[in-house]
Amino acid sequence: MSTFCRSRVVGCIVAAAAAIALSGCGSSSTTTAAGTTSSSGGPSSPPAAAVSATGSVAAGSGAGSSPSAVQMTGSGNGQIDQATYDGVIAGSPKADAATISANAWATAIKGRGTLRTGGTDSGPLFSLLDPATGKLTGFDAGLSQMLAQYILGSPTTKLTITTVDTRETLIQNGTVDAVFATYSITPARAEKVAFAGPYFTSGAAIMVKKDNTDITSVADLAGKKVATESNSTAVTALKAKVPSASLQLYAEDAQCQAAVQQGRADAYVLDQSILISDAISNPAVKVVGEPFTVDPYGIGVTKSDPSAKKFVDAWLQTIYGDGSWAKLWKATIGTVVDGDAPAPPKIGSVSGS
Amino acid sequence: MTTNRVLFDEPGPRGLLRIRVATVASVLLLALLVYLALQRFGDNGQLAAAKWNPFLKPGIPTFLLHGLENTLKVTGLSAVFAFPIGAVLALLRLSESRVSRWTATTYIEFFRSTPLLLLIYVFFLALPPLGLNLPTLWMVVVPIVLCNAAVLAEIFRAGVRALPKGQGEAGLAVGLGHWQTMRFVILPQAIRIIIPSLVTQLVSLLKDSTLGFAASYPELMKSATNLTARYHNFIQTYLVIALIFVVINLLLSYLARVLDRRLSRGRRDKGDTPTELVVLPMETALGGGLVR
Amino acid sequence: MNVVAGHFSDVLSALLTTVELAVLSFLGAMIVGTVVAIMRISPVAPLRAAGLVYVEFFRNIPLLSLLFLVVFGLPDLNVTFSLFNSAVIGMALFSGAFVCESVRTGINTVPIGQAEAARAIGLTFTLSLRTVILPQAFRSMIQPLVNVWIGTLIGTSLAAAVGVFELTAEGQLLQLNYAGGLPVFAAIALLYIAMALLSGGAGGWLERKVAIRR
Repeated sequence: MSTFCRSRVVGCIVAAAAAIALSGCGSSSTTTAAGTTSSSGGPSSPPAAAVSATGSVAAGSGAGSSPSAVQMTGSGNGQIDQATYDGVIAGSPKADAATISANAWATAIKGRGTLRTGGTDSGPLFSLLDPATGKLTGFDAGLSQMLAQYILGSPTTKLTITTVDTRETLIQNGTVDAVFATYSITPARAEKVAFAGPYFTSGAAIMVKKDNTDITSVADLAGKKVATESNSTAVTALKAKVPSASLQLYAEDAQCQAAVQQGRADAYVLDQSILISDAISNPAVKVVGEPFTVDPYGIGVTKSDPSAKKFVDAWLQTIYGDGSWAKLWKATIGTVVDGDAPAPPKIGSVSGS
Repeated sequence: MTTNRVLFDEPGPRGLLRIRVATVASVLLLALLVYLALQRFGDNGQLAAAKWNPFLKPGIPTFLLHGLENTLKVTGLSAVFAFPIGAVLALLRLSESRVSRWTATTYIEFFRSTPLLLLIYVFFLALPPLGLNLPTLWMVVVPIVLCNAAVLAEIFRAGVRALPKGQGEAGLAVGLGHWQTMRFVILPQAIRIIIPSLVTQLVSLLKDSTLGFAASYPELMKSATNLTARYHNFIQTYLVIALIFVVINLLLSYLARVLDRRLSRGRRDKGDTPTELVVLPMETALGGGLVR
Repeated sequence: MNVVAGHFSDVLSALLTTVELAVLSFLGAMIVGTVVAIMRISPVAPLRAAGLVYVEFFRNIPLLSLLFLVVFGLPDLNVTFSLFNSAVIGMALFSGAFVCESVRTGINTVPIGQAEAARAIGLTFTLSLRTVILPQAFRSMIQPLVNVWIGTLIGTSLAAAVGVFELTAEGQLLQLNYAGGLPVFAAIALLYIAMALLSGGAGGWLERKVAIRR
């Protein structure tokens, strides 16, 4: 065969293989997936695919582990309803001109016309991009959009993807105005950036495979393989509490989840809300144990201009007071956690904020 | 293929029978493998429509197309800068001045042996705290250009060395200077020889663009991450993305082969001459294949 | 530089992981590549086609895409290997395609007259391959194979993107935790370059050793 024909043949073979692979999906329906361990309740199906979270999740009875521990039983399906979400954002307050002009940081942002935020676009529940619509939704995303609306009158944000490695640098060199990225407040980080808030208190929880019965609390993680996102606060907490656990670090939540599901890791430790959201859409895993850390999230802003932190703190107080924070909580985190929104954490209550 | 005809005689009746049996057996074996693979998919629920449907949703092909567009943007920009810089480096390495030769060689050896991911991390993690904060696109393009310019320099040099020495000597003999010989005699011929390799290098640039993922640049690989975060369909997404890459690269390689044949018509015997130069710190190894 | 010096043992263990990864991948690639090369020169058409598909697919797929497929895609089919093994498998498959091409090219460089002479004195396919063609082909294969080896060595850095803790990942960690900055990455780059140059030198020595001196 000449090389000309050969490449044609190769192309046909590749196309045929693809056709075979894709035609297979037309003949099987979701019901044939019954009995397999993989999740078939895809988000593309209507909300009727709601899966109730497992009852084995211990309810945080507020026994001192964290001031606003959330109940971990949820019956929502983890899907954020875009219409409700948009409504909540649209209904959030806008600042009047006097408030803005009194603050140098806000004036600069208004002058620019857009709020430059740092965060992620692949974090479930907190900041997730819907590839089909191009919209960013989630608790963190919502807060950033609300702040933009407060300053600019419309939720115009420009997202720069930040990772744990780059957050502080991007704030310090002015590439982003504020970072909304489940950004835990620690004194070490507070030396480089200023934290407004905290705006949410969370704790690390454990996710394991559905049929796993050995791991029910953080102590059971001793000597096991634990997956977590690289350089999250969970890493430090795990090293302190169970130094004998062998850690596997991944870049994304979806990868950590996959590691547990596929048996590469015995458990996945991260913020409980994220884990619950994962568990809702993935019947192969479950969340166990009580939160064993206290993780306050703050908004990272520049330290060199003290008006930034003042402004954002004042704005947070406003949305606590007028119920926007609670409404946003209900529209996002409320889809996996039952009950009303907890009381928002007291601003400045954590060292570093 | 010449190798076949030479390694075995024309098969006799028993040979033909054996070949036919082996053909049938291997077809059955391959079919069985494909069947087993599909069965594996099915058993694990990976053929479920819900896993493949996201690709048919209205916004998704556009989203993927946007990622592809960014991939091509990175590839194109890298090519635009890497090719000229590579040519300049090659010329420096072939110059008569020892200083130029030495500088060019050091650069080439350094950047050919450094992993691209490491360079991207340098621009993404190490330089911003020092003040150099490029837009994400350039954080990806600059390292790719740096690495590939070195590789391209070696390709250009291989092209020049593939020419018969007599050409250069003749140029000098008729009184042309070093650079004039380069410009009028050597380079035009060398470039014609290596154009297929340059197209193949484009394939390599495209493959390198996937490392933009490490800098969170929204090219195809990063788009895949967004898809899996939203729909949890890992193998489907990564398969589709891999197929997209393979198809594009196959097209480029096909183009390289067409160019190869057109530009070398009459100059060499027919045969399966590989047009890819696997060029790394040693002299080009497969380079000899170009002018056989 | 102090950062690297202070964490030298970490860097060393990461370096060992890199070398381990590269060696295992290369060995796997040699095996896979030789098998596919034999498939490609065999008289059985379906095997030749399968070999061609393999080479075309694995030469044109980006290594990162392949690693993601193996590390995050395969487990969806209940085929889960450890991170390290998955990286080895991915790289072996990838480099295998290049090894195959190098082997085929090497065989092609043997003058046809050699094979014809082997047939003329009555050697069978296997014997002529084993005693006449391959030893001579091996000489011209060393160069491209060394290049594939160096490519594999440098390619191991991509394993950092899928979670394997090798040299590049170590550099990223040092940068994050201890603000190592440019010197850390420069040191790591130097390690890679040293390894590449050593390999190149060893390849050159090997080539000179088996060269036919007339």
